[in-house]
Amino acid sequence: MRKLFTILATLSCLSLTNCGYNAIQSNEEQVKSSWSEVVNQYQRRADLVPNLVNSVKGFAQQEKDVLLGVTNARAKVGSVQATPEVLNDPAAFQKFTQAQGELSSALSRLLVVTENYPQLKSDSLFKDLMAQLEGTENRITVARNRYIKAVQEYNVGIRTFPNNLTAMAFGYKPKPNFSVDNEKEISVAPKVDFTPAPAPSK
Amino acid sequence: MKLLRAVLLALLLGWAIPALALVAVPQLTGRVVDQTGTLSSGDIAQLTQKLADLQTRKGSQIAVLIVPTTDGEPIEQFSLRVAEAWKIGRKKVDDGALLVVAKNDRRLRIEVGYGLEGALTDVTTKRIIDEDITPKFKGGDFAGGISAGVGRMIGLVNGEKLPEPEPAAHWDNPDQWLDVLFNPFWLMAAIFVSGILRGALGRLGGSILAGAIAAVLGLFLFGTVIAALAAGALAFIITLFIDFSSSGRGSGGWSGGSSSSGWSSGSSSSSGGFSGGGGSFGGGGASGSW
Repeated sequence: MRKLFTILATLSCLSLTNCGYNAIQSNEEQVKSSWSEVVNQYQRRADLVPNLVNSVKGFAQQEKDVLLGVTNARAKVGSVQATPEVLNDPAAFQKFTQAQGELSSALSRLLVVTENYPQLKSDSLFKDLMAQLEGTENRITVARNRYIKAVQEYNVGIRTFPNNLTAMAFGYKPKPNFSVDNEKEISVAPKVDFTPAPAPSK
Repeated sequence: MKLLRAVLLALLLGWAIPALALVAVPQLTGRVVDQTGTLSSGDIAQLTQKLADLQTRKGSQIAVLIVPTTDGEPIEQFSLRVAEAWKIGRKKVDDGALLVVAKNDRRLRIEVGYGLEGALTDVTTKRIIDEDITPKFKGGDFAGGISAGVGRMIGLVNGEKLPEPEPAAHWDNPDQWLDVLFNPFWLMAAIFVSGILRGALGRLGGSILAGAIAAVLGLFLFGTVIAALAAGALAFIITLFIDFSSSGRGSGGWSGGSSSSGWSSGSSSSSGGFSGGGGSFGGGGASGSW
């Protein structure tokens, strides 16, 4: 009797919910497509960088270090792989997020520097590029949030019972999530410096 | 026991309070939602008319929201929450846009749906904000600023190639009843209802009642006697002859695939009520302050 019951239970599990196999498939596809959207938006930002660097050079060519920093960071981003396979390899994922983080820091350094150049700030091309950059950063945030939600759903799906058995049987691992890159740096309060910046040399 | 209850209540409240920290998404009561009483009813009526015309002409939906504050939440995040809740714009076309003004915070944002990102690019929306809206806001002319901004947005959307909007009232055409009558959805519904009626009243009684109901419905929906007679006759025949008592699951499978496009058009242009069309947003647009 118990054997019959077990068999019935297994059959019903297989037919009613496929023991979660279908859910895992659709969640994984959702993760992959949100990841593609994240990569897409990061690429959009990287594409803005050369124009941004050129427009800043027009007014502030003496800021060579910062401009070089941004150009190098962008080159590094271009060389890092960003296909969905990255999701299955935590080290590659780490490299990707690190490269993007470095580009973010380089860009914010550049923006801080542009504060010293009022002519640059009122240049219409620069203003347009800033609008595009802000929009892209917002899109990146939205894409990341959606990716995080998709990964959460997927990971919860393969870790809760009974679907974790199916996941183990077919070899599905949890997917990586975004973490704050430099947690130590952020937990230190930013220094506010009111000493006037040196006047730009002509 | 009382202590336990008190502790439980405290825990429940503690859990509820973090949820209250974010400003709630306002109800979509119309195309222009003003929670601060800044705009006069005349202004709101004018704006609503302009936006309704846009929807009739192009199918695209634009809405305006004025809140007092977003309570510390970045306006980008707030606007996206509202846009995702209201779902402005047509499904799959995603041609919605939302102008959000946080009056006391002195911040505003134009949130643009995926489908309008070609017309209302980040640069263009930033320009609309900087050139049309904030100068007026700085002078205290909120109605003028919003009107100017909305006007420019409409102008840009007008120039964009979008799928044609659905025609207004599908039922106005009396000859449509033939298509609709033999629509699988109606047939399935008739079969389902006829099964119930036959069970309740016996074969002949059920058929007569089904025929009568269908005739009344036909007259009401289509307005012509011929349509009503045809509907009644069809229902009568279905109930009399078709026995689907054992196939509940089969008819369930039908309803999945068979809804005609005529249905969706009726709902989007109902008189008075305004609701989002299912559009989605990706974070495009621009913010500004004054």
